[in-house]
Amino acid sequence: MVDLIFYAAATLSVLAALGVVLARNPVHSVLWLLASFVGIATTYLLSGFQFLAAIQVLVYGGAIMVLFLFVVMLLNLGDPDAEHDAPVMQGGLTPRLGIGIGCIVAALTLLTVANANLAQLPEGVVLPIGGLDPLKQMALAMFTQWTLAFEGASVLLLATAVGVLVLAKRERASVAVSPPQTLTAAKEEAA
Amino acid sequence: MSVPTEHLLILSAILFSIGVAGFFIRRNLIVVLMCIELMLNAANLAFVAGSRHNAFLAGQDQTDLEGPIMVTFVIVVAAVEAAVGLALVIALYRRKQSVDLRELTELEDGSHA
Repeated sequence: MVDLIFYAAATLSVLAALGVVLARNPVHSVLWLLASFVGIATTYLLSGFQFLAAIQVLVYGGAIMVLFLFVVMLLNLGDPDAEHDAPVMQGGLTPRLGIGIGCIVAALTLLTVANANLAQLPEGVVLPIGGLDPLKQMALAMFTQWTLAFEGASVLLLATAVGVLVLAKRERASVAVSPPQTLTAAKEEAA
Repeated sequence: MSVPTEHLLILSAILFSIGVAGFFIRRNLIVVLMCIELMLNAANLAFVAGSRHNAFLAGQDQTDLEGPIMVTFVIVVAAVEAAVGLALVIALYRRKQSVDLRELTELEDGSHA
């Protein structure tokens, strides 16, 4: 029964991933990606990683996908008839190249997995009660063994917040400083 | 769950390949970013598969924390990457009124405007 749920979730995530690549409307792509993440979260849950499943849904499904959806709607890309909506490229070398590279990667990784010679899992192993990532032990490891990486992650997040502010607010700042110059520059750009 | 580790790895490989193919096929910058997220998730799935394999080999009531912790950091980096990538998309859209990858050719022949 649990295995069936796993295979159903795996099928969902693969089909949804195909939907991300093939959907013409970027909004549909975002929603397919969300479905794919939910499927992946289910496989985490069934593998005994409850905490990972939770942050997969919260951070990926909640935060990152909302960010994507927000940008898609901010740039008004949801209209499938819009010029800048980009479906799969028609004809040409690039799509064939992309599919070819995808097939090569798939073949190589599947070949590696097939030859991996993994040790057989013992039958009837019961998951630990707290799952494979009990939150308390994970927190302990995070703040002892992995403190440096944790602090690095916080510095990275801070740098990102500053960098994103600079990237996204640059034009408005220059308008505030010198409006005539920017207007002329914009006109020159448009011309 | 008695699914063999190979099947988790195969799922990871398939998702990664779809991500790679989409990365090359699509020309909408936002969808390309989504394909990168898909690839990161496939890598996470491989981490989870390996961690689960280790824990089950070690026996009852054993946990393997390296995998989940690594996945946590990958999720942090994925969030950062999405934020920076989307900010870049917005900045590019301001300049070019488009998110089409084929129009981003400033670096192609040195004729920077």
